[in-house]
Amino acid sequence: MTEREKTPDCNMREALVSYLYSEATSEEARAVEAHIKECATCSGEIAGFNRVRGMLQHWQLEDMPMMKIVAGPQKRAFLAAMKELLAAAPLWAKLATASAMILVVLAVLGTEVSIDRDGFSLRADLLRSRSQSEVRSAPTDAPGHVAVEQVRADMVALVGKMIAESERQQKDEFRAQLVSLQSEIQNLHATELARIASRVERQRTRLQTLERDIDRREGMDLTEILFSEVMNQTERGQVRSRQGGD
Amino acid sequence: MGGAGIDLELSDSQIIEQTLGGEPEAFNMLVRRWERQIYGLTLRMLGRDEEARDATQETFLSAYRNLSKFRGEAKFSSWIYRIALNICNTKLRGRARGTVSIEGQREDSGIEIAAALDDLGSNIQQQQITLHVRRALQAIPAEMRQVIIMKEYEGLKFSEIAEILSIPVSTVKTRMYTGLAELRKRLEHLRGAV
Repeated sequence: MTEREKTPDCNMREALVSYLYSEATSEEARAVEAHIKECATCSGEIAGFNRVRGMLQHWQLEDMPMMKIVAGPQKRAFLAAMKELLAAAPLWAKLATASAMILVVLAVLGTEVSIDRDGFSLRADLLRSRSQSEVRSAPTDAPGHVAVEQVRADMVALVGKMIAESERQQKDEFRAQLVSLQSEIQNLHATELARIASRVERQRTRLQTLERDIDRREGMDLTEILFSEVMNQTERGQVRSRQGGD
Repeated sequence: MGGAGIDLELSDSQIIEQTLGGEPEAFNMLVRRWERQIYGLTLRMLGRDEEARDATQETFLSAYRNLSKFRGEAKFSSWIYRIALNICNTKLRGRARGTVSIEGQREDSGIEIAAALDDLGSNIQQQQITLHVRRALQAIPAEMRQVIIMKEYEGLKFSEIAEILSIPVSTVKTRMYTGLAELRKRLEHLRGAV
């Protein structure tokens, strides 16, 4: 290696690092290899860095500590959260929300709704375009009275429809839950029965074996029993050795 | 990559979809898959087991809470590494700053390693080297440390590290070089022991 005069920086830092971690392009790698043949400083840097890398690898993780991540409620979109809230809310809350939403929609459309001593009053741009005046529901002899009645009837019909829909939905959900629960119970029942049946069968087989043994040994004295056990073992050994020979 | 069984079949994005689609327990698969890497990163960044455990938990909780903000263009791993690093940096900023000098680090263990290593069992030797590596890593600036950890222990590419840190690849490489040079100064006395 021809040693070049040591320079503090050969402007090869990025290339050296890429080369060190095998992320250099083939062109870069060739350039680095050519350079370190000439430059003792950079060659020394590569060797030193490799040693450091070897030392760093001594610090390996031992067992992971037991960690429990307790996840709280998931942040979700406003609409999704509202949907879930509505699903869980009781009927009266659903109705109140529905009415509030209708009022909001009407307000957005330029309609003002208020309740005061004079009764329920409603001012709507859409209605004004027809009646050109404030519409009051009670006391009323105003020209827009019919229109207000119409809007009120529409609202009542809409709320009624929503109640019916909500009730139907609740019934459906309840029915689905019942069906699922029933099927779960049946499954559990069937699994348990199968397990018990299998256990009973095993016990029965064991009992039969015991009964056979007892029958066989009845009338034999202890010597005969021991002798028969030895004979049985010998026979089993012969069978095994025959099988091994085959 | 960690995790076993059925969760290996699902990609990170699929698990995220499931979690956001109303199955919060699916997130556990992501935790199991990434907890070792995140714990490794936080432990090596912070140097303290207890703090690393807390940081790992905070990382997953933060990821869970902000999952709806996760953009599919980036990899989940990049996103969660970034969260973990932010948490580590916050913890590091909260610490009283005390830099260990190179000489201080060498003398810290109370023994002259190179001279004493011959007499020690290999296990003790290993522990001593690990201790010095831990201290050396803790002693270098966090911006260099995080690059070295992601490269050496997490095996990320320079481009991936650049994406996680939102900095140019050239900056990552420069930090890597400077960090390695700094570590070399701090660990060179172990040369004969390794």
